[in-house]
Amino acid sequence: MNKDRSEIVEDLNRLMAEEVEAFLRYFQMKYRLRGVDRLAAEKLFEEGTRETLEHAEAIAKQIRVLGHSPQLKIELDLRAGPTNLQDALAEMLEVERQALDAYKEVLPRVAGDTMLEDFIRKQINVETEHVQEIATLLE
Amino acid sequence: MQTWKEFEANELTHSAAHHLIAIYEVGLEYGGWARVSDIARELGITRGSVSINLRALKKRGWVDTDEHHMVKLSPKGLKAVQSVLAKKAVVKAFLTNVLNVPEPQAEIDSCKIEHLISQPTGEQLVHFMRFLVSGDPLAKQVLALFKDFHDQCPESKTCEVCQGHCLIEELQRAAL
Repeated sequence: MNKDRSEIVEDLNRLMAEEVEAFLRYFQMKYRLRGVDRLAAEKLFEEGTRETLEHAEAIAKQIRVLGHSPQLKIELDLRAGPTNLQDALAEMLEVERQALDAYKEVLPRVAGDTMLEDFIRKQINVETEHVQEIATLLE
Repeated sequence: MQTWKEFEANELTHSAAHHLIAIYEVGLEYGGWARVSDIARELGITRGSVSINLRALKKRGWVDTDEHHMVKLSPKGLKAVQSVLAKKAVVKAFLTNVLNVPEPQAEIDSCKIEHLISQPTGEQLVHFMRFLVSGDPLAKQVLALFKDFHDQCPESKTCEVCQGHCLIEELQRAAL
């Protein structure tokens, strides 16, 4: 595998780490939530955990197709107290925005590789929708 | 407040200090501004983590952000970084030049305490270092004597430093 391909694998590993971290954040957030909106919001964060894990899996598969094994490097300290819906959504929006920006950053680097380009574009569309949805909830 | 509680309540955590230093270092090339992705790379963590941590730094008034999500140290943040870097430099210089600790270990240890020591302690360390390099014959002699000093614990395991409880032995046991 040439140098460029190795760099793409590194990019994919970083994207996978973003998704796995988001999964862990949403998992914990579900239990940090307090207040009357908790039941409704729990569902949103459950959905978030499902989707982020699916995304991480999809990225891991892409890495395997490129002949590599996924390398997951995360350093996370999630010691945090109870939170309310507004703060939880603000945090979710931040995480989703960063994931979207990360996919956008990778897009030019996979230009010309039809399979990867399609994959990253699809992810950008999904993340864009998420960001818009959460931003609407926060309005 | 008991000292260990003060340690826990330290406003500038190790993580916060490193985020601020990363923003400072990345920003050196871009007029003080840094992108979240560059900060993440500098720290070896995800963009999501940086972004969440930045919210806390912003709340404390250490960083400012613009509409493009670019990050910059506030004047308060810059002061904190300068203070931490100064303390790190003097602690590292003390460890390497006075205690003869190897440079890689001095780098690690100075990094661990850079944000914890107080301003007066940092200042006194600077004064002490300045005294040692002042050219004063006594200072030169002290440095030279320490360099050649081969410490041997007394058999009784008592000395004025350890006072009946051999600290060297304790440290060596802890390293096993």
